[in-house]
Amino acid sequence: MNPVSRGIRNAFRNGVRTTSIVVILGLSIGLSLVMLVAQRAVENKIASVKSSIGNTVTIAPAGFSAGSEANNALTTSELDKVKTIAHVTGLTETLTDRLSTTGSTTASFGRFGGGSSSTNESTTSLTSPITLNTGSNGSSNRFFISGGFGGGLPTNFSLPVSFVGTNTPTQVNGESITLKSGKTINGNAAENDALISSQMASKNNLSVGSTFTAYNATLTVTGIFTSSVQSTQGTVVLSLPALQSLSSQSGDVTSAVATVDSLDNLSNATNAIKSSLGSNADVESAEQQADSTVAPLNSVKTVATYSLVGAIAAGAVIILLTMVMVVRERKKEIGVVKAIGGSNLRIMGEFMIESLTLAVLGAIVGLIIGVVGGQPVTKMLVNNSTTSTTTAQAGPGGGGFAMRATPMGGNGNFAGRVGTGIRRNSAVKGLDNIHAQIGWDLLLDGFGAAVLIAVIGSALAAGMISKVRPSTIMRAE
Amino acid sequence: MLEVKNLTKKFKSGDTTVVATNDISFTVPDGQFASIVGRSGSGKSTLLSLLGALDSPTSGSIMVGAKDVTKMHDHELISYRGKSIGYVFQNYNLVPSLTALENVALPMEFAKIPKAERITRAKELLEEVGLQTDQMDRKPGRLSGGQQQRVAIARALANKPQLVLADEPTGNLDSATGKMIFDLLHSLSRKEKTTIIVVTHDLDIAGKTDRVFKLDDGKLVQ
Repeated sequence: MNPVSRGIRNAFRNGVRTTSIVVILGLSIGLSLVMLVAQRAVENKIASVKSSIGNTVTIAPAGFSAGSEANNALTTSELDKVKTIAHVTGLTETLTDRLSTTGSTTASFGRFGGGSSSTNESTTSLTSPITLNTGSNGSSNRFFISGGFGGGLPTNFSLPVSFVGTNTPTQVNGESITLKSGKTINGNAAENDALISSQMASKNNLSVGSTFTAYNATLTVTGIFTSSVQSTQGTVVLSLPALQSLSSQSGDVTSAVATVDSLDNLSNATNAIKSSLGSNADVESAEQQADSTVAPLNSVKTVATYSLVGAIAAGAVIILLTMVMVVRERKKEIGVVKAIGGSNLRIMGEFMIESLTLAVLGAIVGLIIGVVGGQPVTKMLVNNSTTSTTTAQAGPGGGGFAMRATPMGGNGNFAGRVGTGIRRNSAVKGLDNIHAQIGWDLLLDGFGAAVLIAVIGSALAAGMISKVRPSTIMRAE
Repeated sequence: MLEVKNLTKKFKSGDTTVVATNDISFTVPDGQFASIVGRSGSGKSTLLSLLGALDSPTSGSIMVGAKDVTKMHDHELISYRGKSIGYVFQNYNLVPSLTALENVALPMEFAKIPKAERITRAKELLEEVGLQTDQMDRKPGRLSGGQQQRVAIARALANKPQLVLADEPTGNLDSATGKMIFDLLHSLSRKEKTTIIVVTHDLDIAGKTDRVFKLDDGKLVQ
């Protein structure tokens, strides 16, 4: 029998102990693999997010706070300076407003970053297709209210309708819209033409050519669009000059997106825009947005890395203690083998093989755990991280209804916050759509970790073996 | 020829120094069956471990043939222990995870003897010490004390050593089995022309050996 087969056989000398060690080691290696899977998946996602960033710069009024009535708007004249900055090839300007439905009871929502500091008193004949649901959040067009209502919603309650004025009507809140019927509007013409979502059209029985009222004016539906984004479905798109005129916010702009000719010039252009607008605006490049977007993923990566190191260390300690215990237990046997001509190297080799056998068995158990647990654990880590992040932030790109809860005229108060995934920052959206998988490279890494654990774990045992003197057997008697 | 000159072994025990063997000198010709007797703590086992290079002396020399064991390097000692010395212990000291056959073959594996050859010799030796064929594939735990000691004797003879050292080989056996084992050692020493040194308490057994060394407080008194 050669040292390898003897080492393997020695690993099974005590069945109960071997099983226990393999299970514990399997859990340790499994956790290592799960963390390795999570780390790789997150790294890939970060790389994917960073590779998909555009060469754009987002400009928002300084200190912009969604839902606040105290936001100061940017002005078209200020932004005109941006258009002249080197490498800026385009500027999408947007003004956002909200109107209550005529005759409905609507919560008092602050203007969404608008220039006016007062609540808009105008109304619209449109009714939002998005409804409030106090019971469940299963419906795609419903807000879920966490908390409760003091006295329930009034029967004629409806959410406000968002009006977006833009000089680039192909996008709303940074999301592309697809024209389903009709034609698009001219973003630079002060015409009372509007694009509405198919949900809005259906809710209000409108079609291309139909009219509706807003700001005491009659607007014509020129196109109906579809959008995968929930908040956009409750939005009416007008040209920027039209909304500025209708809402009496002449020259005001809620946000703007500057396009730079290349990624190489993004940083310089961003700095130039910052200098140009000074303290009036918050300027953030897509790169910076991507960095802040992947921040939760970076924290997941850090957690995964620490857990990976911890799990490998735990595995090594398990093997180390096991092998130390085994060496102490077999001290006399080691002495006998030395007495009959066994060299230190040979005996160490046998123990190393024994340690490796346990580690490989543990790795097999660990691989099963890793394959089964990799995806769900990664998702859980990412979800927990991104959920906490999106709950904490409601930036200008959110496009959601970051509502201030206000009294509701005797019908009860919002006792909780209104929110769904719709509030999520569009940049963060999709971060939890992460795909973790175990490939051959990860399997090899897993076995590599097992070998590493075995080597580290048996190092101390090897040292102890070398110190066992053959005379031990005489003294033991 | 085994030649021991002025062999001294001292141990530190706390603040005191224990002299386990004190300036011992003797010679044992090849093929002789000798015994070492003495009370407990007289230094018998220490002397045996020094002769077998399991421990190193504080001073003195041990010549086996033309080689001074006390001056050997570690790798030489490993070879010396494996090829020139055979050990038989009171507690048999077989490797519990190996079968009787594998235990006997183990020193030959260390001596790099080809597998087929060592299996053949291991079987021959086990037959010689009286182990039945079906017992050869048993692990030590499934053998009686006498059978284990037979396996230990076969293992000690595996590499045809110059010197077999036996430490109380009958100490754990009943008198009948002990006598059988002693007779076996005796006959093997004759047949294999191997020098055998036995440590024993039993003066009857010692009386049957070619030469008796008596130790008292680490000194050779006879």
